[in-house]
Order: sequence, then structure tokens, then C-alpha cells
Amino acid sequence: MSNSQVSDSNDTAVTEGAEVVAGDKQSDAEAQTHFGFKQVEKNQKASMVAEVFHSVAAKYDVMNDLMSMGIHRLWKRFTIDCSGARAGHKVLDLAGGTGDLAAKFSKIVGENGQVILADINNAMLNVGRDKLRNLGIVGNIDYVQANAEMLPFPDNTFDIITIAFGLRNVTDKDKALASMYRVLKPGGRLLVLEFSKPENELLSKAYDVYSFHLLPKMGQLVANDSESYQYLAESIRMHPDQETLKGMMDAVGFEQTSYYNLTGGIVALHRGFKF
Amino acid sequence: MPAAQLVSAALEVTLNKLLDMDPTSEHKLAKLSGKQMLVDITESPWPFVFSFSDRVDVLIANRDEESQADCQMKLSINTLGVLKDSSQITRLIQNNDLVLDGDIHVAQAFSQLITEMDIDWEEHLSQVTGDVAAHTLMQTGKSVIARMNHRISTLTTVLAEGAIEEKQIAAHKILVVDYCDKINVLRSDTARLEARIQRLERQLGQD
Repeated sequence: MSNSQVSDSNDTAVTEGAEVVAGDKQSDAEAQTHFGFKQVEKNQKASMVAEVFHSVAAKYDVMNDLMSMGIHRLWKRFTIDCSGARAGHKVLDLAGGTGDLAAKFSKIVGENGQVILADINNAMLNVGRDKLRNLGIVGNIDYVQANAEMLPFPDNTFDIITIAFGLRNVTDKDKALASMYRVLKPGGRLLVLEFSKPENELLSKAYDVYSFHLLPKMGQLVANDSESYQYLAESIRMHPDQETLKGMMDAVGFEQTSYYNLTGGIVALHRGFKF
Repeated sequence: MPAAQLVSAALEVTLNKLLDMDPTSEHKLAKLSGKQMLVDITESPWPFVFSFSDRVDVLIANRDEESQADCQMKLSINTLGVLKDSSQITRLIQNNDLVLDGDIHVAQAFSQLITEMDIDWEEHLSQVTGDVAAHTLMQTGKSVIARMNHRISTLTTVLAEGAIEEKQIAAHKILVVDYCDKINVLRSDTARLEARIQRLERQLGQD
């Protein structure tokens, strides 16, 4: 149930009692959020998402390559190309998962720079840490278990913040965007890489068939977990489209906000600056 | 699919594979560590940024945005071939065929990294095929290339002589030089005549 629907029901309430009932409904709605297509209590979503990622952490990279046919690597490269990263920069890779972006940033920012790989999920963070250490990426990279809604960093800390395929799992996206804005340095930029709305109707239909029928089966086959991949497909549909997300970024204070559609809008990269 | 990123990824993988095979690259890369170099080739749809650490990361720059790279080089693909000859660089810059902006040492070190790559192909091949097979393959390869070069050189001479001496469909080098000299004399004569006519016109105008 959306907030606007609750407001409509308030308009029709004529008695004081009815207004109280409507008010209760509104507070119920405010206390709820979506988890895929399901409505759940807000305080439950983080643990439910955590369960999904605990379940898929070990096979996360394999599944990413399989599901996107490797194209996720190109989407991530595009994110780095748009980041303007250079030696000495301080980068926060939020919801960094298995560290694809952090690995590349670590090389670019060099020994005078710093990369923080942050994820709310400990299992994902451990997989990322092991992977990067095995690749010899050490020294300028730190690992922090952090909630994007309440980032544990001082104001104006980072030159660049990236969040790739993570924002749709955050319970309160506005709060998370505001938190990112707070820790970004003036002149810094936020890059949000996330699934979005395909521009073409035909592509959209093909994408629906792929994600609701094929994806859970692939999840079952490779990771022995179809439910998590069913959630993935559902959570993508519930995520705000390109213009809505751009508006959300504008609302928390980001400037010169823009987005680029990738692979026909299946994925979009949003970029906003703090001045 | 982001085509630019596919190209930059291929370039990055190739470049780093080659650098891994060159034992001297580590020292050369250390000089560039922490630097970035933008190479904008006019014919390419995207400018490339080379970011140096203990490897080379290849990024795509946006022509609409100001680059922060330490050194920026803009040139055409034809100029790229001429760059091998360092004595030509001043002339290229003067003719605006090459635009260099920023720290020129980065460009020099990058050029050194690429042009002075020292790869022992036989050694790397031997890890796959064994020493004897690698040596035989390399020797055969070298002899085939030498024979091909010899054949090409002979064919070029035969064709040139045939065209000039037998069929007379092309002019001899001396005749071409003589023709160019005559053109130069004619050009300077024309310029002198033009100047004289202008002087006479000015005199007539004053009268």
C-alpha cells in the first residue's frame, strides 16, 4: 500500500474514530516496506536481505557472470570510467560485495589514496576480503561492515562513493542517499549502478521472461537456491525507475544529477555531485 | 552492450599480458606509478586514459569533460606511426599534428614502456611446448620471415625496374627529382612575377 493511497482513505474518513483507524493504517504502511513483491515490516527487511546474501555469497561471482553473461563487468568498467578517480583519492565502495569495483579503484588511487569496501553483510565482506587478498590487493584497502543508511564516517570524507547493485536492497533509500551525501566531500561524486527499467517494450517483455522464469532455475542449478534469485528478480521490479531515482538524488541535495542507460536500460548508472 | 568498455578491457588485458612477459617492465612501470596519461586519437570514437600502478588500467574518458590526467596527448592515427622517430616530435608539435599538454616525462616514460618492450617469446613458448619444440618453431618462424622479406624486396626491385626501364610507365627517381626542382624554380619565378605585377599596379595607382 502506498502513502498516497493512505491519504485518500483519510479524505473519506468522517468520524473521529474513522480518522484514528485511518491514521493507524498510515502508520502501519509507514512501518512496512517491500521485500521483492511481499510487504514486510521495515525492521525485518535488513535481516531478510542478509539471509539472501548469506545464502548466495559463495557463488555470487559465478552467478553474476552466468546471469549477465559477463556484461556486469562492462557495466562496472563504465562506472569506473565515470568516476574520475585518480591517485590520492578516497573512495567508498558501498555494498561492495565481492570487491570488483574496489579492486580496480585500489590500483587507480595508489598508495596515497584509500579505498573502503563496505557492506552490511558480513558473509559478502569476507568473500570480498579473501578474494582481494588472494589477488594481492592490500595496503590501501580497508573493510567495514556498515549500514548504508547510517554510514559510520565523518562528514566530507570521500571523493567518490559507488554503490553497485546494492541500493535496491536498502530499506530506506532516501536515508541512505542522504547519508552518502553527508560523507561525500564537496566536489565529490556519487555513482549508483543499479538495475532499472528497460527503454524498449519488447526488451522489457523478454527481460521479464528471462528474470522470472530462467533466473530462479539458474539459481537452483548453480547455487541450489531459487528463492534468492526469485527475490532478485522481484526486487529489481520494485526498484525506482531512472527518473524517480534521479529525483530522489536531487531531493537529498545532489547536483548535476544525470543517468546513463546501459544495455537498453536494463541497468542505469546515476551520477550526482556534491558542491 | 557498452562497446567502449569492451575495447578498453581487451586493450587492458593485452597490454598487461605483454608487460607480464617483459622482465624489465616492473622498473619502467615504477617510474609511472600513480600517473595517468590521456591518449586521444582523432579517428577513435573514445579517448583512452592509461592509469599506471604495478599494472596499467585502461579507462575511457569523456571528450565533453575536462580531463585531470597528468599528460594529455591528441593526435591522428597517421601521426602515431611517426612518433617512433623522436627527432620528428618538435616538427609534429609545430605543425599541430601532435598536441601535448601536461608532464612530458609521463609521455616519454609511457613511450619507453611500449616501444622498449623486451619479450623473450621463445622462453614463454617453451613453457607450453617444451624447449626443443619452442626453439625449432622460433627458428623456423625467423627463417620464414627472413625468406619472405627477401622475396618481397626482390619482387619490389623487379617490379620497379620493370615499370621504369622496360614498360616505362613510371618515371626514374632522377627524373622525378629534376621535375620537382623545375617546379620549385617555376614557383619562385611565379612568385617574383606576382610581386613585380603588384609593384607596377601600385605605381600605376599612384600616377
